[in-house]
Amino acid sequence: MLIVITKLQNARIYDPINRINGKIKDLYIKNGHIIDKPKHGERISRTINLKNKIIMAGGIDIHSHIAGGKVNLARLLLPEEHRKYLYSSSEKLRSGSGLGTCSSFHIGYKYVKLGYTAVFEPAVLPSNARSAIIEMSDIPFIDKGTYTVLSNDDFLLKLIQKKTNQKKINDYVAWILHSTKGLGIKIVNPGGINAFKFNQRALDLDEKNKKYGITPRSILKVLTKSLIDLKAPHPIHVHGCNLGVPGNVNTTIKQISAVEGKPMHLTHIQYHSYDNKGDKKFSSGANLLAENINKNKNITCDVGQIMFGQTVTASADTMSQYRNHHFAHPKKWICADIECDAGCGIVPFEYRDKNFVNALQWAIGLELFLLIKDPWRIYLTTDHPNGAAFTAYPRLIKLLMDKSYRDNEFEKINKEAQKSSVLKNLKREYSLYDIAILTRAGPAKVLGLNNIGHLGLGAKANITVYNDKKDKEEMFEKPFMVIKDGEIIVKNGNIQKVFNGKFYTAETDYDKGIEKEIKSYFEKYMGRRMENFKIQNQELWDYGIETENIKCDRNDY
Amino acid sequence: MKNLNFTCPFCSLLCDDIQLEVKENTLKPLNSKCSILINSLKKKINEQFSIINGKKKNISQAINELSFLIKKSKSTLFAGMGTDIKGTRAALDIIDKYKCIIDHFSSDTYVKNLKSMQETGGFFLTLSELKNRSDTIIIFQTSDDVLPRLFEKYIFSKDTINNLKKRKVVFIGSKVPQFLYKNKKLINVEIIKLDSINLLNFISSIRKSINSKDSEAKDKKIFNLIELLKKTKYGSILWSISELQGDVSDLIVNEINLLIQDLNKFTRFSGLSLSGSDHILTVNEVLLWQTGFPIRTSFANGFPIHDIEQFSTKKLLDNKEVDLAIWINSFNEKKIIINKKIKNVLIGIPNHPQKNDVDIFIPVGTPGLDHNSHLLRVDKVVTMPLKKVRNISLQSVEQVLNKVKKGIVNSDN
Ligand code: SF4
Ligand SMILES: [Zn+2]
Repeated sequence: MLIVITKLQNARIYDPINRINGKIKDLYIKNGHIIDKPKHGERISRTINLKNKIIMAGGIDIHSHIAGGKVNLARLLLPEEHRKYLYSSSEKLRSGSGLGTCSSFHIGYKYVKLGYTAVFEPAVLPSNARSAIIEMSDIPFIDKGTYTVLSNDDFLLKLIQKKTNQKKINDYVAWILHSTKGLGIKIVNPGGINAFKFNQRALDLDEKNKKYGITPRSILKVLTKSLIDLKAPHPIHVHGCNLGVPGNVNTTIKQISAVEGKPMHLTHIQYHSYDNKGDKKFSSGANLLAENINKNKNITCDVGQIMFGQTVTASADTMSQYRNHHFAHPKKWICADIECDAGCGIVPFEYRDKNFVNALQWAIGLELFLLIKDPWRIYLTTDHPNGAAFTAYPRLIKLLMDKSYRDNEFEKINKEAQKSSVLKNLKREYSLYDIAILTRAGPAKVLGLNNIGHLGLGAKANITVYNDKKDKEEMFEKPFMVIKDGEIIVKNGNIQKVFNGKFYTAETDYDKGIEKEIKSYFEKYMGRRMENFKIQNQELWDYGIETENIKCDRNDY
Repeated sequence: MKNLNFTCPFCSLLCDDIQLEVKENTLKPLNSKCSILINSLKKKINEQFSIINGKKKNISQAINELSFLIKKSKSTLFAGMGTDIKGTRAALDIIDKYKCIIDHFSSDTYVKNLKSMQETGGFFLTLSELKNRSDTIIIFQTSDDVLPRLFEKYIFSKDTINNLKKRKVVFIGSKVPQFLYKNKKLINVEIIKLDSINLLNFISSIRKSINSKDSEAKDKKIFNLIELLKKTKYGSILWSISELQGDVSDLIVNEINLLIQDLNKFTRFSGLSLSGSDHILTVNEVLLWQTGFPIRTSFANGFPIHDIEQFSTKKLLDNKEVDLAIWINSFNEKKIIINKKIKNVLIGIPNHPQKNDVDIFIPVGTPGLDHNSHLLRVDKVVTMPLKKVRNISLQSVEQVLNKVKKGIVNSDN
């Protein structure tokens, strides 16, 4: 076999996992991976001079809704949005449409053009997992993985109600991960989506679900412990109670204390950082939450920044989405109760900079970015498409890196919102090193993935090369070159060749005895057989999906 | 001879509780009397030739000929589209690249659901929610033709997570299905007889009473129904668009979706459209994720254009707006429209009665009988895996279309 070694030389490298902060250093690629340097007698077949360029590992999006029933429902609901963004086919590329709910092929094209090479779909309902994964096989380039949603399924709630021992619950969680090919487990409004099916309209952390008599706190505790006991690659991924409700920052803080120092990832915290002070009973809770997160080193988070403009919100949190349907713009919305698992809600939304609440949401997100001190524990997301499409990342990066730009933008928003935000006083500017942590190194670490997010020995050769520009939006919007698995896939914004990435799953172990109960549950209540719920490897291979199984051996819990 | 667990591909209920006896490629269900299933499996396959212009040919000749036709065509329509996820993907690969149009057998009625969803949205549920949670079920003019075992499996069954007592089933429509009377022991049935026009007014009146605080319904029927709706803990509304009267059916569906949204102001309600014959839901989902648009979409301009009126098969064929129609149906023998003034191709099951009436006929197997497959259930959430159960070497739609595509590409070079 012909061994091809590529040398990238003269670029400035930002690789926080290997503590490289802007050093000029050569990189060698062999068989799609980074090597130290060629062995004796191995020839370098290609040298690429990247003088004045900047290199980071390929970007990693830890939370982006790119597939599954909810995304397709949003596409169905909003043909007008898709008509605004139409993409022609070409020799190599498929046609497509849309932005927030962009069609599958173009999700892949757009992500790699931004220099992202791994993206994780964070809300796959167990019953919808097979559909979502098949759909994801039509997203080219990027490596993918999913978090399976638990915490509202009748099976689990019954186990908790019956005070089932933790061991058996762990078996169930591991079985779910295995059967749905998930990498992680996501909690969404624990118990709340289920409670909404019994017409409860809100459920606070210590309130009881009418049917099962258990609280969100108990569900949170049990599942957090499960993932730790299983040594799962990624700690519990939590979309908490009371999303979007003024005053919810107190719930979020209570939630942090509920896990008693154990690792937990809080997602889109912007939506969970609202206080209820002031005339409008809506104010920023960013400072409160940031202080709390700064103190609690067990907590990681992503922000879910909003950016102004039209988008669509899509979530498994039917309770919250139903509550928010009054704000739908345009005036239409879809909700669904799904398969004794959870639900889904689609509400189109326009964030306006002159609207007090929207403007403050924008400021709160930025406050969180700037007030949470440790970049290793906060990751850059817009909760695509809920806060904005991921294509807004370059502008968001500029907001973080450039205070004068940020101040300028701040001047444009609703005046009342300006008065109730401390954003102007926050002097912090993110460095390139920080950005590399936020968008690569940090997510890789919290996901337990050792071969991406860095450029050290053995890492996948997923590499983004940027032009060094003063305007950071321009710089991050159009990388000079993107390399995936050692192949140049994007050059000056143009896609060179198309192939598919890998699919990450967690390799779990469980006591097979658990299947007896699940099997009869399926036949009795679900109206189908358990065997047809479990996704088989062969099914994935049939779609050309190559899995990368991550061992459950995380040792820093 | 052997007995297998079988998942039935013949309607979008996709029952997986069928025991199948397999004897030298003849298939016999052992534990279900579902008429669609029994009739579908009864068919004997005697021959499986391809046909070009009335003459038997081997399949590779037919595939080459089809590649040639697509290449030559100025405008190609993919019609029928009775296929699975992989078949749809393979079709879209060609449709996108060679600038074709896509429609489906069941679009005429299904687009009315689509339109309502695009204008209003809705509140929906899946089958196990229906089974385990629904204490009241309102049925708007629906027989058991579309999904024969729906009631048996998800409504009459006694085992529910929420220990539901005898459920209340209210049928509202003109043709009362017999099976409701037959199963009176299992449910509390109430019948409200109405034709389509009155049905529309009826739903509007319910909505009016619900939405205005002081107007109490004068009509006894409406008053009683509203009382029931108020008492309901978790209700569901089922409708079947193909059984509603054509000209007002889109208005009715929209009113139903709005009614469900209204009901959720005070209790819990959600809906399920029992549409989806010939697996239009499967095709539609793939189309949505790959292109952003649902059924009736053209790629003639190099990007997707979705238009419910303009890209209807009947209209395109009647007006000769396409010069090649490729019909796909791997499930049954449904009649296809043939316009002799254009080229017609059928990729269908070997027994199709019109196979000699088209320019090219290519036989294919049925998903879940002749090859492994994935199809979407009526609620669009669950994708069911189906396994090959017989061995008579029929290719899948995907295999045929992939070869067709190769054929076009090769002739390009
Ligand atoms: S109801 Fe549908 S899926 Fe079930 S056996 Fe009958 S035809 Fe097959
Ligand atoms: Zn999210």
